[in-house]
Amino acid sequence: MEKFRVLIVDDEGEFVETIVKRLRDRGLEAEGALSGQEALDLLDEQEFDVCVLDYRMPGMDGIETLRHMKKKKPRMEVIMLTGHGSVESGIQGLQLGAYNYVMKPAPLKDLLHQMELAYERKLIEEERFKTLGAE
Amino acid sequence: MSSFLKKVNLSGVEPYLMTALIFACAIPLLFAGRYLLSGGAVALGAISLFHTRRILASMGRIAEQRIMSGIAEERLITDDRACRSQIFSSVDTLSAGIAHEINNPLGIIAQEIQWIGHLTESPSMRGIKEAEDLRDSLREISRQVDRCKETVHKLLSLARQVEPVLQFVDVNELIRSMVIVAERQAAAKKITIVRRLESGLPVVASDPPLLRQVLLNLLLNATQAIDQEGVITVSTRSLGGEFVEIKVQDNGCGIPREHLARIFTPFFSTKPEGKGTGLGLAISRGIIERLGGSIDVSSEPGESTTFTIRVPVNSRRVNATLARG
Ligand SMILES: Nc1ncnc2c1ncn2[C@@H]1O[C@H](COP(=O)(O)OP(=O)(O)OP(=O)(O)O)[C@@H](O)[C@H]1O
Ligand SMILES: [Mg+2]
Repeated sequence: MEKFRVLIVDDEGEFVETIVKRLRDRGLEAEGALSGQEALDLLDEQEFDVCVLDYRMPGMDGIETLRHMKKKKPRMEVIMLTGHGSVESGIQGLQLGAYNYVMKPAPLKDLLHQMELAYERKLIEEERFKTLGAE
Repeated sequence: MSSFLKKVNLSGVEPYLMTALIFACAIPLLFAGRYLLSGGAVALGAISLFHTRRILASMGRIAEQRIMSGIAEERLITDDRACRSQIFSSVDTLSAGIAHEINNPLGIIAQEIQWIGHLTESPSMRGIKEAEDLRDSLREISRQVDRCKETVHKLLSLARQVEPVLQFVDVNELIRSMVIVAERQAAAKKITIVRRLESGLPVVASDPPLLRQVLLNLLLNATQAIDQEGVITVSTRSLGGEFVEIKVQDNGCGIPREHLARIFTPFFSTKPEGKGTGLGLAISRGIIERLGGSIDVSSEPGESTTFTIRVPVNSRRVNATLARG
């Protein structure tokens, strides 16, 4: 599997810590952020391919964070994570450009598979952008 | 066809567009007098916001009525693809224009709301009884601004013709994960979601996030169509290896015959204000057609409604796209 850079955003510190560690164990570059604002600040310093973003967070919520992220880094793919799951918020997230809307708890194996697919999409889009630019 | 186009004359919409623009520009001006900070100004702001939304909605309805009457006169069936794409392009131009003109003022309003909120926290405002009322009022304005933002966003996604990104999709798997999202809300109304997913379905080359969006829209409509207790059935099957068919069926209120031709039209909604913008199916149809598929509806009023989607398997197209990997 190709290496890519992942950002995990969730207000539950323990969740972020565990998942970041397990992704690193698998050879991915992973960072965590505990709030939407922290994530946005991190995006100013570092590039990521895929972001896993919790829907419900105190302060700036997942949807608002997603909105800002897509403005800052339109090519970064975002997977929304949700605990309670509402169809309306799923539609909203996808409409704002999220790649997927995943119910918690998601087994790491499944989440990782979604991250790979999201990364594949990013590669296809970059490729397309390059060929467009070359024409 | 060309005489049809002449009849579908959108020019009558312009005065409304102008009114909307004037309102949109007037709101930030209202807020600009921030030293005039008073409940009155805030209320005025809220009222103009309310009007902007009203006007947007009625513009949509007028455009739709004109289109519909044009269609009736020419006795054209809405199912005529060519005709529909022309309708869509005029609605597209209209919505892209409105969206652009409304978005910027909305951004400014949101900033000013934050600023006023900040002012109400200042020491000189402390202990003033009305300050809390003012903050309540600001929160309501914020909510309405969010609602406008969302409608504008939906309009934009209707207008924007982004080229889909094709990836291999296990349709059954994608459906399962979206049904899980819908299940909790359905269960709250005692609705069961039954899956009848054919095994051995061909892997299709399609755009996963777009497909998810369509499925959630259909599942949401189905859930809303059932008052209490009911069944939604989601099924898949292969059509000769070339297409995959997805059906979402519910035993809810059904769709009256006279509405059937209109449900895919932007802004057609029978749901109460604030519940539906009438863009869900318009967006869904736009997506499915961009993916090279089709979406159809059949309904037995009072009995059931079935939406049928067909997406092409596209096996050759994806190989070309993914060959680089
Ligand atoms: N499963 C269904 N059963 C009965 N009526 C339906 C069903 N799906 C759609 N409709 C009718 O079609 C109309 C348009 O649907 P559409 O999804 O486009 O908009 P909406 O649901 O009203 O609002 P939005 O999707 O923007 O929240 C609905 O208002 C309803 O009258
Ligand atoms: Mg709907």
